[in-house]
Amino acid sequence: MNRRTFLGVMGQGIGVAVASHLMHTRTARAAPAGRGTLVMAPSFVIRSLDPGHVLEPVAEMVCHAAYDSLVTFEGEDLQTPKPSLATSWKVSSDGKTYTFALRPNVKFVSGNPMTSADVKWSFDRIINLKANPTFFLDGVEEVLAPDQQTVVLRMKAPQPSIVPILSSPSLGILDSKVVAEHGGESGLDAKTKDQAEAYLNGHSAGTGAFSIEGYTPNQEVVLARNPRHWRGLAAMERIVVRNIPEASTQALQLARGDLDIATGLGRDNAQTLRRVSSISVQSSRVATSFVFMVNEDPQLSGQLSNPKVIQAIRYALDYDGILTIAGPGAIRMAGVIPNTLPGSLDPREAVRTDRDKARALLREAGLASIKGTLMYSSDVTNYGIQYSLLAQKIQADLAAVGIAIDLNGLPGTISLQNYRDGKAPALFGGYAADYPDASDFLVYLPGRLVGKRMRWPANATPATQELAQWGDEAEAEGDLRKRVALLQKVQRRLLEIGPYAPLFQPALPWAYRADLRGVTFHSVWGVDFYAVRRV
Amino acid sequence: MTLRRYITRRVLVLPLMLVGITLLSFVLSHAVPADPISANLGEQAAANPAAVAAFRQRWGLDRPLPQQYVVYLAHLARGDMGVSISTHQPVAIDLRQHLPATIELAVAAMLLSLTLGIPLGIVSAVRRDSVIDQISRGGSLVGVSMPVFWLGLVALLIFYARLGWVPSPGQLSPRLPRPPFVTGFIILDALLAGQGDTARDAIAHLALPALVLGSYSVGVITRMMRGSMLDVLGEDYVRTARAKGLPRVIVTLRHAARNALLPVLTVIGLSFGGLLSGAVVTESVFAWPGLGSYAFRSATSLDFPAIMGVGVIVASVYVLVNLLVDVAYAMVDPRIRMG
Repeated sequence: MNRRTFLGVMGQGIGVAVASHLMHTRTARAAPAGRGTLVMAPSFVIRSLDPGHVLEPVAEMVCHAAYDSLVTFEGEDLQTPKPSLATSWKVSSDGKTYTFALRPNVKFVSGNPMTSADVKWSFDRIINLKANPTFFLDGVEEVLAPDQQTVVLRMKAPQPSIVPILSSPSLGILDSKVVAEHGGESGLDAKTKDQAEAYLNGHSAGTGAFSIEGYTPNQEVVLARNPRHWRGLAAMERIVVRNIPEASTQALQLARGDLDIATGLGRDNAQTLRRVSSISVQSSRVATSFVFMVNEDPQLSGQLSNPKVIQAIRYALDYDGILTIAGPGAIRMAGVIPNTLPGSLDPREAVRTDRDKARALLREAGLASIKGTLMYSSDVTNYGIQYSLLAQKIQADLAAVGIAIDLNGLPGTISLQNYRDGKAPALFGGYAADYPDASDFLVYLPGRLVGKRMRWPANATPATQELAQWGDEAEAEGDLRKRVALLQKVQRRLLEIGPYAPLFQPALPWAYRADLRGVTFHSVWGVDFYAVRRV
Repeated sequence: MTLRRYITRRVLVLPLMLVGITLLSFVLSHAVPADPISANLGEQAAANPAAVAAFRQRWGLDRPLPQQYVVYLAHLARGDMGVSISTHQPVAIDLRQHLPATIELAVAAMLLSLTLGIPLGIVSAVRRDSVIDQISRGGSLVGVSMPVFWLGLVALLIFYARLGWVPSPGQLSPRLPRPPFVTGFIILDALLAGQGDTARDAIAHLALPALVLGSYSVGVITRMMRGSMLDVLGEDYVRTARAKGLPRVIVTLRHAARNALLPVLTVIGLSFGGLLSGAVVTESVFAWPGLGSYAFRSATSLDFPAIMGVGVIVASVYVLVNLLVDVAYAMVDPRIRMG
């Protein structure tokens, strides 16, 4: 046997062994394409393309293209929900019943008409799957479909944030007939019975401007224009979303014209691309809050959890220097709500670096030597921000006022685990909005998601109890003006008594070929392919 | 011992080795002090006990570890490698989609290394200390010591971005139709579907990454071949052959090179395994959708079934290639199977 034949045999041997277990092969067939094809390259992790399981940025982008939700946002806006499959909505006087009027004559890609039964089925499925996106509908008591064109959400408590929440690509409306035919379940036992995910990973069953034509995990998603889309045909015929993990490779391909949009660029790449005239380099602010946090359990964080020390840390940090690490486009945050959302504090209100004040606060605390440990993900670069660099910067800033910080760099998965288990002594991180509404950032409050992880229960003190109460009020307030005032009050108080130092709102560096129009980057679903055209 | 018995004995040991490999990868991957829930569930769901319970149940993580292992083995024996936590599809299908790309790359790199390395090594040895020898020694040193990551980026910058000789990174130009999935080997599939353009495009895409990935083994093989050749050239039988008046080419190729190839075979086998598992970096630079990127992704998301699947496949290929090398060895040198 010579070398050539044995390699062939080896390849076949493996092929046969694996093929025996092959249930379905996927044929991603694409027509020859040119100007009608948009090629984009993020660096992606897609775990699923079934809206019921989706909660990753690129998967959300694909689902946004393939499934319409009841409401949506335009371009990069995060403030004003716009009609999509729902043409209008109204709230009952007690704030607990939301009634949506559905757009008439909308058809799914299968040709089936979209009715309130599909909406109810889709929402019930999300609620009962108990998967990643289930929390979106936690506040929903019941979904009703009184007639074909009307959907009613009965809430457990008043929750105005439900309207922006409904824009989530995970809450896109599914063709209940088609999905049920492929094993979809929306009943109480959906969590064990539903088998539709495999189908929805290779096909889509929505009313969106595009439908999924092919998906090869880890490699690429191909979308084809939906000929039945209710807003009319999209300008692009086909979208290829290809996984290109290496940022420099993305930049090279974009410069050569082999790529139309690159969203996985590093900051250096973006800087280089600025010199190429055929490319438009953007830096889009994302609805993410970067915050330094300290654990309230002194067993873990030592003297750092002392309220005076936390205040001192806030004055000791060199925010201008930190903004340089955060990169172009990043801006200060005065509170924990990103500046692009109603309810945020004016960045001019933010704490200014004042080392003398920091030292004075430490003297007031009357502690001999102040030590602590900062845990961070040593292998993570997010929004172009190198976490290890930021950790070193914080260490140096705190050393300047006499707080000695040990750095504990861990692999991302392990530091995330520690943080979620409430075992991180001190850390910084970006909390990204799941939906475009300020209430998503109340997680920092005592007793809520992040608060609990910082071992800060709602009943810690009368002050925390009151703060938690204000948070609940802000969340339920339907009047926008009153709501904004409450959210601002909550944030100011949070910084007086909470274990946080807001750092900045980051910006994502990305770029596209200058012959494209209508390309925007939305904080939740990225690029809206329907709006993109080539000139 | 006949050749057949030798092969049979080696093949029979395979399943045992595989069980050992699965046990090792299982223990190692569960030794990581983190939970796949963190890596795979969203923030909000991870804080929700009902969602966490549903996740554990869905992926079988609610059972005790030894039981998980036994269940895994039982499924594996039936050819079922489980379902990947991060892609939500059967690991066998994932591997079927990722492995051919890596094999294509590794085979191309190997062919390049052989066609470059062996002749270069022979020429270097025969013309010892000549200019050719100096160049090939210098070149192989560079090939062995250059970080693949850097080499790949520089090669891309020169041959793709500046000169435009090779197409964009990736397996295929995005604007070309992908051939229907038959074998998974994209060049083969394109030919089967009669898409000549696609096949040509795929070969063009393969050239640069194969060269970069192969640079290390070219270096190793050249150096090994040269050294081994120098040893053999000093042997008595070579001198005898020359004294008999045989043409120089015959002496060099038939008498010397054939014997010099023996130790090189082992290196070839080992570097092929290395090409398979070591392609991670090359695959990342060239956006090559192969096993390397899959393995990396599985590891970072603590996707146990996928990690195990990659382990089993890479180990099997390694073991298989070694077996084939040993068989080739035994065929070339009968003394080996006697031992």
